[in-house]
Amino acid sequence: MPPWSDFEPFIVSGLALGGVYALSGVGLVVLYRATGVLYLAFGAVGAMGALTAWSLGQVGAPGWVTWLTCIAVAAAITLGYGVLFGPALSKRDPLVKAVATIGLTLILYGLMDLLWTTSGGQARSLTLPTDNGGFSIGQIQVNWTQVIALAAGVVLTVGTGAFLRYTKLGTAMRAMANDREITATLGVPVRKVEAAAWLGCGVLAGIAGLLLADLVALDATTLTFLVISSLAAVLIARLRSITVTFVAAIVVGLLHDLLTPITSLTNYRDMTPFVLAAVALLVMPRSQVMTQSREEA
Amino acid sequence: MRDTLIRADPRNASRNASRPQLIRMAITAILVLFVLFALPQLLSLYYIDTMTQVAVYSMVTLALGVLVGRVGLVSLGQVAVLAIGAWVAARLLFATTQPYPLVLLEAGLITMAAGVLIGLPALRLRGLYLALITLMFAGAITVVLATVNFPNGGHGFTGYNGSLVHIPPIRRPSIASGDPAYFRYSVIVATLMFLLVFAHIKTRPGRAWAAIRQSEPAALAAGINTWLYKLWAFALASFITGVAGGVLAGAVHYLYSIGFPTQDSITLLAVTLMGGVYSMWGAVVAALLYQFLPALLNNWGVSADWLIILFGLGVLQVLTTAPAGLADQVPKDLARLGRLLRRRLRKPAPGSTE
Repeated sequence: MPPWSDFEPFIVSGLALGGVYALSGVGLVVLYRATGVLYLAFGAVGAMGALTAWSLGQVGAPGWVTWLTCIAVAAAITLGYGVLFGPALSKRDPLVKAVATIGLTLILYGLMDLLWTTSGGQARSLTLPTDNGGFSIGQIQVNWTQVIALAAGVVLTVGTGAFLRYTKLGTAMRAMANDREITATLGVPVRKVEAAAWLGCGVLAGIAGLLLADLVALDATTLTFLVISSLAAVLIARLRSITVTFVAAIVVGLLHDLLTPITSLTNYRDMTPFVLAAVALLVMPRSQVMTQSREEA
Repeated sequence: MRDTLIRADPRNASRNASRPQLIRMAITAILVLFVLFALPQLLSLYYIDTMTQVAVYSMVTLALGVLVGRVGLVSLGQVAVLAIGAWVAARLLFATTQPYPLVLLEAGLITMAAGVLIGLPALRLRGLYLALITLMFAGAITVVLATVNFPNGGHGFTGYNGSLVHIPPIRRPSIASGDPAYFRYSVIVATLMFLLVFAHIKTRPGRAWAAIRQSEPAALAAGINTWLYKLWAFALASFITGVAGGVLAGAVHYLYSIGFPTQDSITLLAVTLMGGVYSMWGAVVAALLYQFLPALLNNWGVSADWLIILFGLGVLQVLTTAPAGLADQVPKDLARLGRLLRRRLRKPAPGSTE
């Protein structure tokens, strides 16, 4: 076992990673509850946004323009998909809806590989100005991006919770999570509420893409499939609870990074989300996973 | 009725072979003979290798098609299962001098055991959750493989020796050491796997699966042991994929863990859906899409990324409008085109009186 001081820097990076997973997870849960769609293209749209931002940066656009573009691209693609395919698939099983988003993932992935070819050898990077500033707690260096990542996770979890609880739109989303048809009968403009959920999810995907491009790597494959890690947190939360998603995401991020200094386990640290999710799903009471939604009955 | 991934197949399977069925079987047999004997003469070595891959992956898509189309279980981890099969076969081929068919059988059985081990707890889950947990398992297996590596002739359990300079190739059966011969060999193995699935579909398990796909509660009420038959499907799919892994090991001679990324499982599901999961032809179409098209595009100098985009569009199209996939859609569309053309021809020329 390495000394404690070896672990210290990884606490910070783990918390930052956990923060981004948390905000991704919250976006996924909100969309799932409002529309029944598990948005597997979450990582791909974030990657698309981040790569677009990188290209804009290459031609000399100011930083804030590129960041906003990143978020706007992710939000626009997500909203576009939701408006185009959401209604057509609204009565189908959640599994069908999820597999359809795999279609979108593949389209985006192919496009990204085509437009930003990786075989060229030039490694891209997207750095935020917040990387440079920072402070230290004891021995540990903390930069502002890491602070922002964790703070974004916390703020968005609390904010989304409050939004769902106290606003009219949030209440409508919760109602739709229970029953789309009855909600529509009650006079809620179902399509508009769904569109709002898609847009919100897309914005979160853009933010997550931007942060992960800085914290992890600006690479289409990495970013596209990093969503699987946040998916683990969402699964642990059984696609329902935002609070559990947040806690699970922080645990996944933290544990993943804390395994890095342990030589015997460091190669296996990427398994963390999968193992945690598998264990959580398998010990879950049968009734919770068998009756997942009313549409399926 | 439960909404399965793809809506239920309206065609009924009758038990006794009727005349059109016999004709269809005869055509299939002729086609297999053509592929076995004429095709290797016609193709260049590049395409023979490609077609070997098609034969291998047709088994993988066949297995996935059984899970998705027959039973309604979606697995997002089939490439990881293929990797297990290839790993086991490679290890056995390096360690022993057993005949190749025996190694294939053992690789299939060991992969089946692994599949059942994963399936036992996972089958408590349904639908979306099952799909996601297979994705999680695939991710975990990929990470393990990246660390353990594929056997390369070293010693010990893993059979991997990182400092080896001259890596021995994974051997092929002595009767099929050349590429055309190995192609024939893989086609024969694939044909056997298709027959195995065919035998399942036409008998009791096939009917039980059909009932489960329509409605699990109804199947349960009809006295079907749904748990057993779902596990059976999982075991069969793992066995076939394991055998495919064994054939793959000999086909490529060298195996690397980067050759089995998690994202390939996702692409594999996409092509399987596009090919069509209700007919066994769908598996062949899917394998052609997955292996032959990239080779063709590569030969033409077109980026394979276009293909990924096409697969993405294909998934969306299949899920929204063409549930039975290309294997069903293309003949139907051709028939429709034929009717249209015939009507056009029969239509009296404008100006003429009736």
